Amino acid sequence: MNIDTVKERAGPREFSPADELPREYREAATRMIEFHANSEIMGAYLERPFIRQAPSIDRKLAFSAKVQDEIGHGQLLYRAAESLGVKTREEMLDDLANGDGKFLNCFHYPMESWVETPMIAFFVDGAAMRRQATLRRTSWEPYAHAMDKVCFEEGFHVKHGEDILKELMSGSKKEQQMTQEAFEEWWPRIIQFFGPTDDKSTHHDFAASVGLKQQSNDDLRNAFLDQYIPKARKYGLEIPDEPRIRERDDGTYAVEEDDLNWDEFFTIAKNEFEPGLGQINGRKTAQEAVDWVRETIENDASAAGGHAPQAAD
Amino acid sequence: MAAAPDEFSGPDDLEERERTALETLCKRLADDEFVLAERYTEWQVRAPTLESDLALANNAQDELGHARLWYDVLGDLGFGERELVYERDPDDFRHSTLVERPFEDGNWADPVLRSYLYDVAEELRLEALADSSYPKIADRVEKIRSEESYHREHAQNWLERLADDEESRERLQATLDELFPHALTLFEPCAPPRDANEASGDKPRAVDPGIEADIVDLGLRTATLEELGEEWLSIVVPYLESLDLAVPIDGDDGFEVTAAALPDERGRDGTHTDAWAELYDEFTRTYRELGRDEPTTIMDAPE
Repeated sequence: MNIDTVKERAGPREFSPADELPREYREAATRMIEFHANSEIMGAYLERPFIRQAPSIDRKLAFSAKVQDEIGHGQLLYRAAESLGVKTREEMLDDLANGDGKFLNCFHYPMESWVETPMIAFFVDGAAMRRQATLRRTSWEPYAHAMDKVCFEEGFHVKHGEDILKELMSGSKKEQQMTQEAFEEWWPRIIQFFGPTDDKSTHHDFAASVGLKQQSNDDLRNAFLDQYIPKARKYGLEIPDEPRIRERDDGTYAVEEDDLNWDEFFTIAKNEFEPGLGQINGRKTAQEAVDWVRETIENDASAAGGHAPQAAD
Repeated sequence: MAAAPDEFSGPDDLEERERTALETLCKRLADDEFVLAERYTEWQVRAPTLESDLALANNAQDELGHARLWYDVLGDLGFGERELVYERDPDDFRHSTLVERPFEDGNWADPVLRSYLYDVAEELRLEALADSSYPKIADRVEKIRSEESYHREHAQNWLERLADDEESRERLQATLDELFPHALTLFEPCAPPRDANEASGDKPRAVDPGIEADIVDLGLRTATLEELGEEWLSIVVPYLESLDLAVPIDGDDGFEVTAAALPDERGRDGTHTDAWAELYDEFTRTYRELGRDEPTTIMDAPE
């Protein structure tokens, strides 16, 4: 299939491993899904300490399950990416450890306190939900299929995040204040989740033309703000003055781009932001510490004739 | 085995002696599960593969679920999660030191071995609780048992895989030497709960063998700790030896837990290794920092 045919046929769940697709399509899809998978892993890395720090057994259980879900999503997505035949899961995980794998801007920031957990679990996951819902109609069928399960579980995460936010904002004065401060710190990053405006986005045109991407950054950002500004207010959060957000006559939002720190955003995009690097390397160190186990399994597998035994997983 | 005593109808007709026995039994059960789960979660996002990451997270959540079940039985005696976990004096926890030991970075041999040692003991103790004279305990055994056989299978699969490789077996051996004495504390009797007979909270409180005797005499558990310990040894020692591991216990006198084989800190008597204070501090941090006075419940109490 040549690229013109791909563009012509591009529709929801149109292409599967049975199709012979041009390298350009397969690389673009791999880049997009790998980014998504990496983000699941790095999000889990960021939230993991809060399993322990959760203020009750029920919250602990929910957090452990959430982190587990994110790893499960990573597993699914790497499989969907692998099926494009460009990179193996091992290569993608190695790239992530080496600092070559890219992932969501929000997961490059450190998270230190429980009051920050709804910033991820409610706002960032809520933002991700918007995007993921549209990806159920992406043209790469295995990706769309993975999104069915991811969206289903992500719905619970957002509800849990919302419940934590609600609890904090109806708690003591101190809790409310700490939560507001966390919100002010995270709000610009959350808006940047959707990337720069469409005219500045580099990958959008091609990904949209072959049906990988279903909605533009601007549309997604609008839909998110439309839904989440009222929710934030409902729980008593004050929307920070910056970035300035103006509601247009047609109900859409204009974000003052100059109020956002794009230098930081693009430093993050290159994996050169200091806190993010710390998180990449922290995960790498943890993975290196269990290299010996993977080697043992591999030896085991090659001794058994190259078939990796599944039983112990 | 004790002769089957009369069943308790519920929490309302308990005498002081019965109350203390029930409280002591349930606290050791619940604390073991809770602290083990707390440790297991450290492997989330750190396990060797995505698949093993998911599996260990499952185990952690199962054990946390069991902790909920046992803590909930203690609700019959008027205790809530606040008194039992988030505002409890760390010296009052009664878990075995096996479950509180920290993991060395990357030592996957540890969760695998710890899980095996613990899960075999748990299977045996659940068997001895299946006919408990306290109906709520007996009711909960079945649910827990169905999950435990999977844990044990998972642990054994990994053990066999690791033991097959010389270098990995050496790691297993070093870990076994470290963990085994702590595993024996699973079968140690508990010191009385703080409120039972002294308000001062001096530590470590002397173990009162009378409480353990009551647990069995009242039929709360149908086997003694000695019996459970012997049975456990008769299972784990031959199994570990079959993997070419040397078990650090003198097997000449048959399978018996001896004082010489035990570590200094035994958990059950309120003495803990230093790692426990640190762990307690971490899991109560948010609760303290936010000045909470009640842990949040989001799920219904277990049936």
